Amino acid sequence: MNKYVKLFKVSMAQEFAYRASFVLWRVRNIFQIFLIFFLWDSVFANPDKVVFGYNRDQILTYVFGLFIVRAIVLSSRAIEISGEVARGDISNLLIKPVNYFSYWLTRDLSSKTLNLGFAFFEVFILFLILKPPFFIQTNIFSIFGFLVSLSLAVLIFFVLLLISGSIPFWYPEAAWGVNFLFISIFVEFLSGAIFPIDILPNIFQEILALTPFPYLVFFPLKVYLGQIYGLELVRGILVSAVWLVLLWVLMKNVWGRGLKVYQSHGR
Amino acid sequence: MADKNSKSAILRQKLHLYSNHINFRSFEKLGIRIWKLFRISNYRFDTSKLRGIADRTIYYLKIWLFMSRNSFMVMLMQKKLFVMFLTGKILRFVFFIAFLIFLVQGAESLAGYNTDQIILIFLAYNFVDIVAQFVFREVYRFRPLVVSGDFDLILTKPVNGLFRVLMGGADIIDFVTIPPLVIFMIHMLSKLNPTGVEVAFFGFLLLNALLIAAAFHIAVLAFGILTLEVDHVVWIYRDVTSLGRLPIDIYRQPLRVFLTYLLPVGVMMSFPAKALFGLLSPYAVFVSFVMGGLSILASLRLWNFALTKYSSASS
Repeated sequence: MNKYVKLFKVSMAQEFAYRASFVLWRVRNIFQIFLIFFLWDSVFANPDKVVFGYNRDQILTYVFGLFIVRAIVLSSRAIEISGEVARGDISNLLIKPVNYFSYWLTRDLSSKTLNLGFAFFEVFILFLILKPPFFIQTNIFSIFGFLVSLSLAVLIFFVLLLISGSIPFWYPEAAWGVNFLFISIFVEFLSGAIFPIDILPNIFQEILALTPFPYLVFFPLKVYLGQIYGLELVRGILVSAVWLVLLWVLMKNVWGRGLKVYQSHGR
Repeated sequence: MADKNSKSAILRQKLHLYSNHINFRSFEKLGIRIWKLFRISNYRFDTSKLRGIADRTIYYLKIWLFMSRNSFMVMLMQKKLFVMFLTGKILRFVFFIAFLIFLVQGAESLAGYNTDQIILIFLAYNFVDIVAQFVFREVYRFRPLVVSGDFDLILTKPVNGLFRVLMGGADIIDFVTIPPLVIFMIHMLSKLNPTGVEVAFFGFLLLNALLIAAAFHIAVLAFGILTLEVDHVVWIYRDVTSLGRLPIDIYRQPLRVFLTYLLPVGVMMSFPAKALFGLLSPYAVFVSFVMGGLSILASLRLWNFALTKYSSASS
């Protein structure tokens, strides 16, 4: 356990080693939120308007909540796994007395801690500048449900990254493309990280509900807003848990097969 | 009556002559000023210079075609990567346009624009963004050249260094997406029934946007030499310009003015479509072209300054 605590600290220090890079990355996050915030601000120019089941307070809380949830769920170091596998750098870790998955989960947690700290600071500054109406959830069950769904989302995303990261075992040249297709396209659009999924027609929502993507961002935020509660909340958390188990089994299978074909090119 | 008429006719004739005289004099003065300002009097028209410019243009066009062919071949060697990126780009476009359609239909309008207009603004943004990526992709690969000192090898070649690092690696993935995008844009144009003048302004303002995009990329290269930071700066450029995916009118003041004229995302992304909808004043069109010209001049000066700071480290 001690070695992972040390790894956490080293990983945190490593983030600070490239300060300019980190700060610029956070600046990029602010620009992304700007577009979404002003888009919805414009749609709800009339404060009494209700569109797609959201009022102005709820949708702007969704946008600001995105900032925090993205920092917790989607900020990750495990995105580097695909490149590590493609370059053969994975050999360095395989021969060390650390569990490969725990290693990356620790690095992920370190990255999330740092990003969350900055996200809170940025939200505070943006809150002062933009002065949006903000919905504060006071129901203890909704807050508890939000935290549980968020924890499951972190783990689901981690396992998804491990699955996509194992594809370069067979196609090393595709490492970069896998991340682009998988993270920048599928996760960004289908998780609710750009727009709430319930603006889509029902048929699309029902299809998406069968995938793990909405449980990454959309579901936790809806729970926070109090729009998912009671049995629906329990059902959603159970579906998330089932997805986590299924993806974990799939990942172990794919990873094991990948290691068998791994030839440590360039090492 | 006839006398009266002839008097008024003489008066009108005098006034006409006077006004002509005034205009002629003022234009004459303006002409002399321009003549002196640009020292046109020292200029001798020489057809050999014109031929020289044509030869240089053909020379660089041949080099660009050669470099682009090499770049395409490198990408086509990695077919899986090519398919993945192409699929990703198409999906991103489809997802976002579907989102816009559902959003504007549900909200009835967005900042006063209807669905077709929002789609056209999004298409104009995509056109500028994709063409800029297609032509200026090499900028994304500039940092290793500066860090390793390999930029020396480019500077010593008989080709303009800026041309090589700016346009030396056209991107085939973006290239293949341009024709369908243009066809889609023409389809949307036909739905909106603009006048010929509006279409012409739309076209010229798109070209102006590409000029500003070129200026941005040159500035990024200059920053690359001065600070060794290219990757994030170019991505910040992408993020800033992506604010133009939607009409600039959605942003609150003073951010709107800042985005329109200072960065200038509005001039690049929103103005072409606004001109097409007949919502842009002649003054705004004039300011756009001035900004296009000034931005390219400023970026070239910055590049020349940055070159003087290049230390050729590690080489």
